[in-house]
Amino acid sequence: MSGKPLWRKAFDEVDKRVSGPVEAGAHSDLFNDLVTVQIKLARRAQREVEKRTRRVLHAVNLPTATDVRRLSEQVASLQRQLRDLEDQRRR
Amino acid sequence: MSPSLAPGDLLNRVERDVQRALQRSRNGLRYAAGTQRPKVGRTPKDVVWRRHKSELWRYRSDARRYRPPLVIVHSLVSRSYVLDLYPGNSAVEHFLREGLDVFLLDWGVPDETDAGNTLEYYVDDGIPEAVAAACETAGTDDVNLLGYCFGGVLSLLSAARHPEMPIRNLAAMATPVDFSQMETITALVRDGRLDPEDVIEPTGNVAPDVIENGFKLLKPTAEVTQYATLWENLWNDEFMEGYQAMGQWARDHIPFPGAAFEQTVAGLVRANGLVNGTFELGGERVDLKAITRPVLNIMAERDHIVPLAAAEPLVGLVGSKEKEELRLAAGHAGLVAGRKAAKVTLPGIAGWFKAHSSAIPSHADVRMCSDADS
Repeated sequence: MSGKPLWRKAFDEVDKRVSGPVEAGAHSDLFNDLVTVQIKLARRAQREVEKRTRRVLHAVNLPTATDVRRLSEQVASLQRQLRDLEDQRRR
Repeated sequence: MSPSLAPGDLLNRVERDVQRALQRSRNGLRYAAGTQRPKVGRTPKDVVWRRHKSELWRYRSDARRYRPPLVIVHSLVSRSYVLDLYPGNSAVEHFLREGLDVFLLDWGVPDETDAGNTLEYYVDDGIPEAVAAACETAGTDDVNLLGYCFGGVLSLLSAARHPEMPIRNLAAMATPVDFSQMETITALVRDGRLDPEDVIEPTGNVAPDVIENGFKLLKPTAEVTQYATLWENLWNDEFMEGYQAMGQWARDHIPFPGAAFEQTVAGLVRANGLVNGTFELGGERVDLKAITRPVLNIMAERDHIVPLAAAEPLVGLVGSKEKEELRLAAGHAGLVAGRKAAKVTLPGIAGWFKAHSSAIPSHADVRMCSDADS
């Protein structure tokens, strides 16, 4: 006799029947197309929101996400230069 | 129909169920509140080499019985503590117990500074420098190299591009070489539906949630099944420790450096460069046939992240005369963590390395020899 409780046996039975078709669906061309569209739309929506809020925030002299990103890009670029110098010194 | 129970047995069963219900409530509250997160990666270690965010750790041991040391190269998409989850469930701990001298190369967590890290950064600089540091620290002429997941790809590329690197044996664990067999996110970029710039975020890296969602899509019902398993075993403290540690690791992905991702997509995923022999680094073609050391290809039969078909062709691609395969009935992480890993996988891997290493004579052996001489 298996030690699994009755509810788990029922769950496994349903899972066995459902998981196959769900996985097949998740690997289908249609699903891949949907995921692609979702990723691209989310990226576009993010850009659009940033563009619209930028005007408002700049009007009240507040930095936007883009401003913060530019600053952190500059910091990252400085860190990279430091890293290169460190590498040159090691060699 | 269930068999009838004697009154004593019935009483015991009721008592057990009440006890489990209490433990289930206690563990459930702790789990929901997140107050008992397992402490991972606890095996004592020392940092013996460091370059930018990369670190080479040497695990402490007073029972090293084999040479050369084992250098484990971790992946770029996950945290290395999966190899050292917690005492009693740790690949590193197992290898130490087997007498191996264990080093682990951890790449750290990339940020904007690392967005420009190319594969050459890891393959031509990181691994060769770490191998040299391991040799120096252990006082040996060479090392055994073990790459896990994408760390295996990096190890293979490094060994192929630097045949002079002092590697005695090379093992690749759950390592994809035929990228045409990979699913979901890899399939999306392979088919051209997505380009690298669609998933590279403004930091210049691929966000960890993209990687995590990609893995989740491989088995969409897995999360529900895991919750069912959690409910079934919520009363069991030992199970909870393992479940929480693995759950934490599975949700704890790290950004993938953008430049390395672009090279991976173009050369490995779209061109399937390792199988077709077209992959280039630093303007030179990388030929895995340049690897002539003994090679072990460790594959998990139930690996849904790196399917068997993606890992299998490796032995046909390397130039080694001595090449072996180890197929294990486990999943991707199950190769290195969990009960099956402790019983089957890890002893198999440690056994191969021990058989291909030299035993260090123990103090007792040395004493016996000198007694005999005198």
